[in-house]
Amino acid sequence: MSSETPYTVLMDTLEAIGERDDTDLPSLERVRTPWESRMQATCECLSWRGALDTLERRQAEDLLGETVYRRFPVHTRSALAVAHALMNKGVFTESELRSKMAELRIRFGED
Amino acid sequence: MSTHSHDPHAPVQEPDGTDEFEILELAVRELAIEKGVFSAEDHRRFSEWAESRTPMYGSKLVAKAWLDPAFKERLLADGTEASKEVGVNWLDPTGTGTPSDYTYFYVLENTPQVHNVIVCTLCSCYPRPVLGMSPDWYRTPNYRRRMVRQPRQVLAEFGLFLPADVEIRVHDSNQKSRFMVMPMRPAGTEGWTEEQLAAIVTRDTMIGVALPQPGWTAAEAPPRSGVAHQSAEITGGGK
Repeated sequence: MSSETPYTVLMDTLEAIGERDDTDLPSLERVRTPWESRMQATCECLSWRGALDTLERRQAEDLLGETVYRRFPVHTRSALAVAHALMNKGVFTESELRSKMAELRIRFGED
Repeated sequence: MSTHSHDPHAPVQEPDGTDEFEILELAVRELAIEKGVFSAEDHRRFSEWAESRTPMYGSKLVAKAWLDPAFKERLLADGTEASKEVGVNWLDPTGTGTPSDYTYFYVLENTPQVHNVIVCTLCSCYPRPVLGMSPDWYRTPNYRRRMVRQPRQVLAEFGLFLPADVEIRVHDSNQKSRFMVMPMRPAGTEGWTEEQLAAIVTRDTMIGVALPQPGWTAAEAPPRSGVAHQSAEITGGGK
């Protein structure tokens, strides 16, 4: 798989989040949701422990967010890029991520 | 901002699908912890720190500087050190800042002749210890590429129209330097307390895409009628 090929497990989340609908910069203003600050903390941890440097992650957000994941809302780029980059690096596999998400859905009582 | 509909602080309806991204976020985090990449304690520390950061600290710095010339001098001379006077230590939470945040903090003073704006063309560097997490638009290539090339056009998209004789200085943040704008104190705020002043120093005024206005706080937009065009504010701005 090319390093920029979208992962199906990530593309599968598009229907739930909905396609981006911003038309200009100001329309990107929105209320932040709690998972975003937790995601930011994960980004800090990854950089702090040397697994995914902040600048590398931000460049991945730009590259992937403007191409293969361009249909996603801008605020999802960190989550998508981090998951994508960690799978590319072999930290975990797509199958492991899919299984973990299924496990969490059960834990959250959504299945 | 009377001719444009954007209100930089209006709550926007949250998108659907948040639950699925809560699951994705937690899945990535738990897998990383299970693989030994970082610990749950690491995550707790960074989360706690991130959630404690808000634009309130920047607002307080500006309001205090408006009222205290000696503090203003200290703030402009050494923003990193002066931040400690409002309880912000740029070395938190690790002793060397966050992996993406340290090291030097500069406060840029607006004047009747010069309007400052911050950007990070390389990535999305932002003075998080004093402003919290950056808005989505700040991180987009759209803002980062265009603000340095077409600053007046981008500011106009935010409803900020500056007179042609006002110089716009765009400051490009980087790994070593973080910037924040100190807007001019607007007329009509004479006799106000530090708390009253801090309330009108919103996040966007410290990024530089808006100007503070009496009656306009982050929590409440001004009435639709009688809102002055922002170009009038800068020409009539206070000290």
